[in-house]
Order: sequence, then C-alpha cells, then structure tokens
Amino acid sequence: MRFIAEDAIPRLLEHLAGGGRTVWAPRVVRDSVNTVLFAPWSAGEPVETGAYTHLSAKAALLPPTERLFGFGYLQAAGEERIELEPEEPEESPVLFGARVCDARALAALDALFFPASGGFNDPGYAGRRSGLTVITLACTTCDSACFCSSFGKGPAETDGSDLILYPVANGFLAEPVTDAGSELVRLDLFQDSRLEKPELAVTARVETAGLREKFIDLFSDIDLWRQVSEKCLSCGFCAYACPACHCFNIFDEMSGDREGERCRSWDSCMFYSYTLETSGHNPRPEIAHRYRNRIGHKFSYFPANRGEILCTGCGRCIRGCPAGVDIREVIRTVQER
Amino acid sequence: MSMNDLIPAIKKVLEEVDVVLGWTRSPAAGVAVPARFHTPDEADGAIFDSTCIHNLAVHLPRLKNSKVGIVAKGCDARSIVQLIVEGEVSRDRIRVIGVPCPGVIDVKRAWRCYGFGKKIEDAGGRVHMEGRSVPREEILLHKCHQCRDQEPVIVDLAAGDVTSMTPPPPPDKSGIRERFAAMSITERREFWREQFSRCIRCYACREACPLCFCRDVCSMQTREPHWTGGQVNAIESEMAQQVRISHMAGRCTGCEECERACPVGIPLMLLLEEQNKIIEELFAYRAGASLEDKPPLLTYDINRDGGWR
Repeated sequence: MRFIAEDAIPRLLEHLAGGGRTVWAPRVVRDSVNTVLFAPWSAGEPVETGAYTHLSAKAALLPPTERLFGFGYLQAAGEERIELEPEEPEESPVLFGARVCDARALAALDALFFPASGGFNDPGYAGRRSGLTVITLACTTCDSACFCSSFGKGPAETDGSDLILYPVANGFLAEPVTDAGSELVRLDLFQDSRLEKPELAVTARVETAGLREKFIDLFSDIDLWRQVSEKCLSCGFCAYACPACHCFNIFDEMSGDREGERCRSWDSCMFYSYTLETSGHNPRPEIAHRYRNRIGHKFSYFPANRGEILCTGCGRCIRGCPAGVDIREVIRTVQER
Repeated sequence: MSMNDLIPAIKKVLEEVDVVLGWTRSPAAGVAVPARFHTPDEADGAIFDSTCIHNLAVHLPRLKNSKVGIVAKGCDARSIVQLIVEGEVSRDRIRVIGVPCPGVIDVKRAWRCYGFGKKIEDAGGRVHMEGRSVPREEILLHKCHQCRDQEPVIVDLAAGDVTSMTPPPPPDKSGIRERFAAMSITERREFWREQFSRCIRCYACREACPLCFCRDVCSMQTREPHWTGGQVNAIESEMAQQVRISHMAGRCTGCEECERACPVGIPLMLLLEEQNKIIEELFAYRAGASLEDKPPLLTYDINRDGGWR
C-alpha cells in the first residue's frame, strides 16, 4: 500500500488546489471553542485531521445559499421584458478529510440531484459533483454518538470515496477506491509501505430493517410521535448538520424594484414555515407532525422513492442537539412498537 | 443535593399537574438530558447534577394547555418569572420545584475539547474527564461565575437544602471577553462579520431561548414583513440576529441557552451581556428578578404616552 506522511498533507492539498479547484477541509474555527467545520482551504492554513466536524461536508455540494440566476426588468421598444442572467457553472471541488459517513451520504444526494445516478438534473449540484474528488479519513476511533455500523459496511464503507486514508504512526496509509484515487497515490508525495491497515472503529448499531413499513403502520399514532419528539425544540440544527438532509426553499430577493436574484437556501422540515400554506393552513402544526416527517423521510419515503436511507449514522444530530434528542432512541422506540 | 429530595418533590407535584419538566440521565452521553415526567414511576428516573445546563422554561409557553411542574435552578426561575410578568405563562398553571444549584458545567465546551460523550465527573471541586481534571471554575458556564440567582425567585416546593450551596467562584477571565472589550468599534464590526459568516440560520438560538416566543412567525424567517433576506450570508445573518437581540432588551435573563445551542460557536452572549448591562444601568432592572417589577421597555401606554405623529 502507499503511505503519505502527515507533514506532506499540506503539499497534497496544494497539489489538489493547483488547478484552481476549491479544496474543502476540516478546520478549527478561530474565536470559537474548538468548533470544527469543513471550509474552503487556502495554502498555509492548518487542517484538522483528528476531530469530527460539527456540520457535515454537504455545503461543498449544496451551498447554504445558491444563486440560481439573476433577473432584471428591462424597458425595450415600449415593452417591458424580463432579462435573465444565468449562473456560470462552478468547477468541481475537492473534499479532503471527509469521514466514511460523509462520503456515503453522497449516494443519497446523488439519487435526487445527479442524473448519472438516476436523479434529476440539478445543474448546480451536478456541476460540482461530476468531477468531485473525495479523500476520506478512515475512523480508527469513534465516540458514543457514532452509529455508522447500522448502515452498509459501517466504518469499512468505501462508497463515495476516491481515496481512503488510514491513520498510522506519523501519517496515513492510502488506499485508492477509484481511478482518480489511483492517480493521486502515484504522486511523489506517497511512498510504498509495508505497514498493515489499522483496526477500524467499532461503532454502535441500531436496527433499521423493516423501518420503512413499520413507519407507515405507525404513521397515524400521533401520541407516539408526540412522545418521541417531546424534547425537540423544532430548530433546524439536525437537518443542517446532516450529510443527507437536502430540503431547500427557493425565493427571489430584490435589490431595488428593477432587479434581483433567485436563490435556493437550505430549509428544514422542522420549521413551522416549511409546510405553511398561503391560506394560513399548516398541515404540520405540531412539532410531533414535523418530527414524524423527519423520521419518515429518512427511513421510509426516501428509501421507497429513491432507494437510499437518508442517514449514515454520523451522529452529528445527536452530538449537537441543544435539547438532547437522540435519533437512535426514537428509532428503537418505533421498532419496539 | 441528593435525589432523595428531588424525586419525592416531583411525585408530590405530579398530584396536581399533568407533567413535570426535569432531567434524566442520557444513556449515550452520560449527562443530564431534559425529560418529561407524567407518572410517579417515570419520576424515579429524575436527576439533578451540575450537567443540568438546559433552561427548561423554554417549554412552558409551548405547553399552554397543561398544568406543568418544572424543576428550576435559580437562573431558570428568572426566565419563568419573566414569562409570567410578560403574560406568556400563567402563574396558576405552573408549579416550580426549586433546586439549589452548584453551578453548571459547560458540557459543550468540555466535549468539544475532550470528545463527545466522555464521562464528566464533578467531585472535590474539580471536574474530571478522560484522566485529566480541571478546577470547577475553569469549566463552569460563564453565567455561573457572576451568579446572583442561587435562590430561585419563584418556588412552590424546594428540593434540597438551599443554604448548602457552593458560593460562586471568581469571575471568568475567558480570552474572548477580554479581547472583545479591548476592540474598537471598527474591529468589533470586523469581528462580528467573521463570526456571522458561519451562521447557517438553523435558528437553534431562537428555539432554545425561553423568551423568544414569536418563534413560528419570527421576522428572521418571514417574507412579510421582509426584514431580512433569505440568503445565508454574514450580512443577512447578522441583521437577523440584531433584530432578535434588540427584541431581548430588558427581557434576556442571561441564561446562555442561545450561545449553547449555536452549533457553529458564535459568542452571542457578548452582545446580550453588553445589552443586559446597559439595561441594568439605565433602568435598574434585571429581567425576571421579581414578579412585581415592570419591564421598562414594556411599559409603553399609547393613551398616556401618545402615538406616532
């Protein structure tokens, strides 16, 4: 296998950024108490390869706000017409330091936004996704929120990654998954190594088999949904931290009254406004209705419609929930009914 | 305090309410998580310790149709008082179980430094984690350092011996506060631009705030009125937060829940502490300090004070 020394990682990132591509990497945020987030990296900046990021890497593919196009009202020959200004496609980024759970979530997003995987043709997403390079850090340790073993091959998953780095003394063993990964390990930054791959973490497991049908059976049991969501405060943190949640809102913002831009921003089904209809009616008035949708979309509707579970067991929603909601306890309660 | 006091108190209150808001121990995380107790059996799982950071008063306005018991630290009791003073919660439908608080640990900070779910042991004036230990005062929430509210202002049933409380340790000298205080206005502007550039507008700050009760019709999110744009960027996020914070003038009890809830670590309390200080200096008013005090910014009377001209 090939090996890359820890101190060669910045040179690897420089190489990747060389063609003008944006390299996203985990970084400790300045002036915050050890907040680690994926962010565009520039030369000289430190990269955090040990800690978990508090938000997923999805912003690299689905920005929190994306400008879809600009528009303006023009007067021409006594007539008013609308001029559209399309967005230039962005170059595909590099995602360095994703975890297996981040990489695996790409399959779920692809199933919706990426035509090559049977999804719709979403030009913004597809443009960033088509040439995306994902360099994943394998997990040799985990914490009590991790539960990726509940899905697929757990910590040994290779789906979504181009190259997997296994932490060993003073560096990483590099195992290519795709041609793009194989090409990278041929760089001089990597050497041959006879080291053994380290033991991977053993993460918690919750039973998700049968959840798709079970959920439908329990859909009308509103008391159950009230019970499992009673702690929830109905903020959007879990959806925004999740690598697989992808709901969005589309809106126009004007500057003055002659021109503006159409934007797409992240949205969360935990918000009251998410399903609020123009009439004032809201089909999901209670937190229980909204939390039920969160579980249903992840484990029942999306698997039925697109063939993917919208959860990879990354545990971010558990680590960061201000109210202490643990989605695993909810799954267990539902399974035990 | 021992659970010998708390659990019977919850059971007693359950005789006259529908539900008691308290804490239980999280199996995954080992620390306190909010819980609702409906039956005496459920109440056997109740705990109170220095990881009970949450301000459970946030649930009171959401439980308008029930009689509710609530386990409250002194600082939480101030939020309850403020909710009553503002007419959001009616005094006669709540029962407050006051608990003596030894100061609560900044669990989020501890976990972000030592790893999520690591066992936190608070013993002998030190907090032990992962084989290391720090003096308690280094890892308490900032508000605990200047705590003036050990004794809950509103109590129906006291659980535990209020006099046995540890006196608050000396004020925190956290780096960010010192640096912020030394910044010029221009530097502060730069500072906040950078801080808000990572806001994702999840509104956890708003939802965790007991006093932020507009919630579902919040101007951070509505199109009508359209005070803030929907774009997630530093300018819109800062504007949205400024609106929230100015609405907290004379209402914020300094519980720090907004800052604790923030997933990207924006130090919102720097703004709120400053504002709370100004309100106290100008009006000699602390939100939630007494059921009799009138909130200074809620005393406007259109008949007496006149309308817009």
